[in-house]
Amino acid sequence: MSGDRSGDATDAIPDGGTVTEETAGGSGGSALAGLRERDDFVVVAMAAALVVFPFLLIDILGAVGDVIGISIGGYTGLPSLVLIYGIIVIGFNLLLGYTGLLSFGHAAFFGSAAYSAALFSQVVPSPILMVIVGTIVATLLAWPIGFVSIRRSGVYFAVLTLTFGQALYFWALGPGSWLTNGDNGFSGIEAHGLFLGAIPLDAQLIPVFDSYTVMYAFTAVVMLIAVWVGNRIINSPYGLIFEALGENEERVEFVGLNVFRYKLMAFIISAVFAGVGGAMFVIHEQYIHPTTALYWIQSGDFVIMTVLGGTGSLVGPVLGALVFEYVANVISGVSLPMIGSIGSLWRFVLGAVFVFIVWVFPRGIYGAFSDLGSRLLGEDPEEPAVADGGERE
Amino acid sequence: MLLLQSEIASILLNGLQQGAIYALLGIGLTIILGTMEFLNLAHGALYLVGAYTGLIVFQETALSNGLLYSSGITTLGFEGGFLAALIVVPIVGFGIGLLMERFVAEPFYDRPETDQLLVTFGLALIVEETVKNVIGGNTFQSIAPSTILGVNVSQPISLPLVGLFPSWRLFIIAIAFLVIGLTYLAIERTDFGLVVQAGTHDSEMVRILGIPINRSYSLVFALGAALAAFAGLIGASIQTVSPQIGTQQALVPAFLTIVVGGAGSVRGAIAGGLVLGLIISAMTQTYSQWAQIVLYLFVALMLVFKPEGLFGSAEVGE
Repeated sequence: MSGDRSGDATDAIPDGGTVTEETAGGSGGSALAGLRERDDFVVVAMAAALVVFPFLLIDILGAVGDVIGISIGGYTGLPSLVLIYGIIVIGFNLLLGYTGLLSFGHAAFFGSAAYSAALFSQVVPSPILMVIVGTIVATLLAWPIGFVSIRRSGVYFAVLTLTFGQALYFWALGPGSWLTNGDNGFSGIEAHGLFLGAIPLDAQLIPVFDSYTVMYAFTAVVMLIAVWVGNRIINSPYGLIFEALGENEERVEFVGLNVFRYKLMAFIISAVFAGVGGAMFVIHEQYIHPTTALYWIQSGDFVIMTVLGGTGSLVGPVLGALVFEYVANVISGVSLPMIGSIGSLWRFVLGAVFVFIVWVFPRGIYGAFSDLGSRLLGEDPEEPAVADGGERE
Repeated sequence: MLLLQSEIASILLNGLQQGAIYALLGIGLTIILGTMEFLNLAHGALYLVGAYTGLIVFQETALSNGLLYSSGITTLGFEGGFLAALIVVPIVGFGIGLLMERFVAEPFYDRPETDQLLVTFGLALIVEETVKNVIGGNTFQSIAPSTILGVNVSQPISLPLVGLFPSWRLFIIAIAFLVIGLTYLAIERTDFGLVVQAGTHDSEMVRILGIPINRSYSLVFALGAALAAFAGLIGASIQTVSPQIGTQQALVPAFLTIVVGGAGSVRGAIAGGLVLGLIISAMTQTYSQWAQIVLYLFVALMLVFKPEGLFGSAEVGE
């Protein structure tokens, strides 16, 4: 899923049988191009990447780390965490990358789903039901917030979403603490495992590789569903309209389409993804606090991940989630020979990487790699598929 | 709840004080947005720089962690006093503003506004983390002096209606409004201000008329930065100082201020700042738990029902 990993993923596809048949006749470059044109290519590629992801992140990087004497391997829970944020930013990108709306309030949907899932777990501790309940609550919240916010665009939209998110944050911290437990946070949230608790989430799937837990499989399946749904949306007429909205809203209106309705749907869809992620997050972390769940910095993190990965493609933002969480959880623990411990500098590193990416690669890591790939194959680099911002005349 | 006269008076005074900070921040943000159509999410970082510069110039501060501490420097500061800070901080802000305009803002003038938001957001992150790692992440006490120009300002004074009120805060309110007034005059009454106003209205036309608007751009950006840094100094003299204040106490309120006042309007930023300051002050004194919530919902209502703000046109930044 990072650069080398997406390479692995494409290499792994020919084993998938059906995909190779159509493209078998082509030469190297065009075979890959033909493969890429298939609608479900991204889902198959993601599935392959998900199979090898924990192995690469934990075992291979861990082994490399042992050799060079710097621990750069991930820990057991990291792959699941990356996927959870990945799910959220796939949805967030439908709003930012395709429709061109920058929200600074998606923590509201993430957090409300997390809290509802946490509260619901005290009644029925089923992870699947927790996700469903959390997602429903996030969706119900997104409707009115979207209904109001969509009426404005540009920075006003960003500020409106921010205000609603912040109002919810301060409510959870103060007046709402009878429900949310306020500044103490909710701890000891336990989901009882899949299939009526028959399979605990922390059980291992494969004996030797302890990174493949049931929780990972669960998040991987949800991720695949998310990619499939996202892919269906962007390849549908609906998704085309989202993209058109990002490019030129006025024209969409002149064609006679109800701009407001499509923007609202894009907003709600992105909130659904944030809700799924929020509920999964609480299952994974077993603890939730207003600052991690609802504060606007969390919304900002979604923005960072999405832009870092690349807004022009469906799965690009997942790369951003990977880089973000890797820097936050692994690089932050690294101690370098000359510089010493990275420790609390990780956010500084992240900010610098972020500014660099926005500056030099407006299409993110994914865009940079796909340009590089096209250049190597002798094609012209793609034009940016999506104009973000887009409100300018 | 019935409020006593004295309570109302102190709500007003506290509101003025908070409102002045919001207005200073809002003016800076709004002239930058208005003239250059540049959205600066690093505006809070300038406030942060102002607060820390003030801290360093004002007194010698003991460090307890951070890069400087671990490299053997345990105290930091010049013992310059508050008047020195009053001069140094805006100059530092002005300089940073010039640099920012030249090296960060300019390459992004022609890029989508989302890119501007993103790059300045990243910059804000870098500044906050730099301060946290170099000077330390702990919270410092506010930097109110006991005397200023030989006048004792540490004692509360008795005011009609209000009762006892910290005289230091009165001084702060006075000096903040002096700066706000001067800025207002500079933009309403000078040639420079005229160019700024015209640029807010139609920057293309100003350029066509042969006015070197790029030079004005640098000055406007630097002026906005100096005001934000000055707001940081004022804030640091009444509130504690920590690396988070840039985003928490400056960036978000600054945006709320210009949204309420109307983007691109100096008058709007002043009015917006005062309105928000009074709301916060009134709520804090009555139902403090709900203060922030009411503030945000008020702004949301404003955006929905009066999107052009108190004094603005709805077009800027949209």
